[in-house]
Amino acid sequence: MKNRKAIRVIALAMCATLLFAGCGGSGKKSSSDNSASTAATETKDELHIAVSANPPSLDVQTSNSSLVGEIAAHVFEPLFAMDDKYEPTPVLAESYEVNDDGSVYTIKLREGVKFHNGKEMTSEDVVASMNRWIKNCSRAKALLEGSVFEAVDDYTVTLTVNKPASDILMILANPSMFAAIYPKEVVDSATEEGISEYIGTGPYKMTEWKQDQYVKLDKFEDYKNSDNATTGLAGKKEAATPTLYFDVVTDVSTRMAGVQNGQYDIAEEVPTDNYEELSNDKNLKLDVTNGGTLNLFLNTTEGIMANEDMRQAVLAVLNCEDILYASYGNEDLYELNAGWMNLSDAQWSTEAGKEYYNQNDEKKAKELLKKAGYNNEEITLVTTPDYPEMYNATLVLQEELQKIGVNAVVDSNDFNTFMEHRSDPKQFSMYITSNSYALLPVQLSALNKEWAGLDAPEVTEGIDAIRFADSTEDAKTAWENLQTFLYEDGAASVIGHYTSVNALNAKAEGYEFLRYALYWNTTVSK
Amino acid sequence: MLRYIGKRILSLIPVMIVVSFVAFLIVYMIPGGPASSILGLEATADEIHALNAQLGFDRPFFVQYGDWIVGVLHGDWGNSYFLHESVSTLLGEYFLPTISLAIFAQIIALLISIPLGLIAAYKRGTVIDITAVTVSLIGSALPGFLLSMFLMLALSVYNHIFPVAGYADLSQGLGEHLKYLFVPALSLGIVQAAYLTRMIRSSMLDVLYKNFIHTARAKGLKEKKVLLVYGLKNAAPVILTAVGQSFGSLITGTIVTETIFNIPGLGTLTMNSINRRDVFVIQGVVLFVTLLYVLVNLAVDILYGFVDPRLQPGRK
Repeated sequence: MKNRKAIRVIALAMCATLLFAGCGGSGKKSSSDNSASTAATETKDELHIAVSANPPSLDVQTSNSSLVGEIAAHVFEPLFAMDDKYEPTPVLAESYEVNDDGSVYTIKLREGVKFHNGKEMTSEDVVASMNRWIKNCSRAKALLEGSVFEAVDDYTVTLTVNKPASDILMILANPSMFAAIYPKEVVDSATEEGISEYIGTGPYKMTEWKQDQYVKLDKFEDYKNSDNATTGLAGKKEAATPTLYFDVVTDVSTRMAGVQNGQYDIAEEVPTDNYEELSNDKNLKLDVTNGGTLNLFLNTTEGIMANEDMRQAVLAVLNCEDILYASYGNEDLYELNAGWMNLSDAQWSTEAGKEYYNQNDEKKAKELLKKAGYNNEEITLVTTPDYPEMYNATLVLQEELQKIGVNAVVDSNDFNTFMEHRSDPKQFSMYITSNSYALLPVQLSALNKEWAGLDAPEVTEGIDAIRFADSTEDAKTAWENLQTFLYEDGAASVIGHYTSVNALNAKAEGYEFLRYALYWNTTVSK
Repeated sequence: MLRYIGKRILSLIPVMIVVSFVAFLIVYMIPGGPASSILGLEATADEIHALNAQLGFDRPFFVQYGDWIVGVLHGDWGNSYFLHESVSTLLGEYFLPTISLAIFAQIIALLISIPLGLIAAYKRGTVIDITAVTVSLIGSALPGFLLSMFLMLALSVYNHIFPVAGYADLSQGLGEHLKYLFVPALSLGIVQAAYLTRMIRSSMLDVLYKNFIHTARAKGLKEKKVLLVYGLKNAAPVILTAVGQSFGSLITGTIVTETIFNIPGLGTLTMNSINRRDVFVIQGVVLFVTLLYVLVNLAVDILYGFVDPRLQPGRK
């Protein structure tokens, strides 16, 4: 009896100790806040950026991973890149001219630009890299297949396009899977798996890559900087901090703990659950930028989903606000808008078709279900918990569908299995994905028949109408019509616009974000 | 003795074949190939299928397995689809942090468990014994990831004593190396100590009431000598088995701790390769870990002979 009592006391004491270990730190934290406020003008020599995954490669021409794009943007440069107004701006190009019918672009190259291996960049490197890009980059291939780069002299190249279009420079300047210029030897020695040496002309050179640990970039001393002010992905790039470490920290709690403790200067992809906690941390500042759209894609070819009324019933019941709240947990982190394109892109952002967006109309949905002849067929929503925002959104969607009597079933798997299931129209009725912004409407996944199987003549005609329009106004009208078609057909719907949140040391300066976080002008005071 | 070791090593071959076959089959049966991991979320079905085909992942199971086994017999364990390095190089690189962490954690576990187990057994039924048993029960019940989080909060986030995560190679100095490994090793060590304390306590209790202990005391030997020389030595085979199992699990099963503390060891490699469907790396890790586990057990069997010659392998 006496022993039992003693055991109880000891057990209680142990629990209390553990609780104190977990909760008792807040007082200590405020003391470190005070010490952190010491003014200092010197900046750190190394920047530690905690990223969420190990990049699969740095061959940015062929990988559409955002992380690959981000790291590569510091190492490689294209001929043209986006400025902060999403206008194509010369980077390795000096100037360009287009002939009267728009079929040949003559591009003058900047002279004296050196690769990280010391060799000067000339037209042979540009021709080799750009032709490889057109052949191997899926996004370029879809729009430019048949186009050819040729050298005129050491510092001039021509691009003869397959079909004249208004968006050629935009395609060349696309930051996703961008047209990085590699030395000719690197292109020539590339295998099917990609390039084996990462040599570019950017402000940083890659000096070390420890798999699953970090990618280390060091300032390239011979970098030929631009004379123009920094703007988006173009202009001056100072390499203000001599060394950048992209530390691979897959566990999200560790990433957050590391930036709070100061081990990392920046933590990327702050989960929405941590947003409030980190926004109250005086040692940190949060960068919240529009990142892309959370989208619903519906099967348009198989079973009951091939019926347009069925798809319209799904769109009718959507309560996008509830879905977004479940996915992002804070109103600061999402925006309701029917447009597929970046809201700050004046050329393409439009709410065309908004009458079909966020309807939240159960009565209409039930009528449409009846019209479609829905008879309790199983509706499969495929998803993956590896992307929590997509998973949470899918659960809310399931509930909304069940409310109108749809037999909605969630098929949740790990990422690779999800990718397999969502690519086979026989295995899904609909799915939700978060897609980063496309620069051009014609590059949207929703319009790619390989993405969710949408194979309608209106899409092909719409894409041509945008690409070969006589003026930018006509191109915009064509895009408005195509966006409306996506809603009318019930093939896909935007649920809302999400933000990317990165946590930075409060003393960080010069950080910018355009499609990727850009660190070339970033410094952190010691 | 040598014959015994030879026999044990030979018996590994069928084990390895079965393990490799089953592991390959499981990976083959899980939907989704490595291409999705390489290409990312926004890749289209066409791109994924094309890359999977290019990597040879669309071939029938036996063709893929046969190719791999022929390669292994020629000393080629294949290459990682994702990390672009040979599996043998990767195993070498990722094993070092794991073995370092395992040794460090095992030392911490022994430093805690041996004195605690001995005292608990010696002071059986007292508050010290009850405390030791309660603490070790809590330690066994506490999930490792939770303990890791608590320690990370206490020692790294609220008090900046140790780094939150990461790894420093031995080439950067022993101090730096241990600084990064201390919190994860402590977390693993505490959990292992909980198990070892109970094993040491119970095996000592079995011995401490034996006649030869009474005889030793009757001869007037000091308690310290009775406990450490007569007691501990006779309890050693059981303790050795427990330590062997504990070490085996440390070098093969630290996936969660390595992931939380971002240590590029075998656990991280296993987890990442499964997520990436990096089949040759999965195969390599599974076989390597099987081999390690069997070798640790063999080493324990051999060590029995040293602590108690009656238990020497092959002795009749």
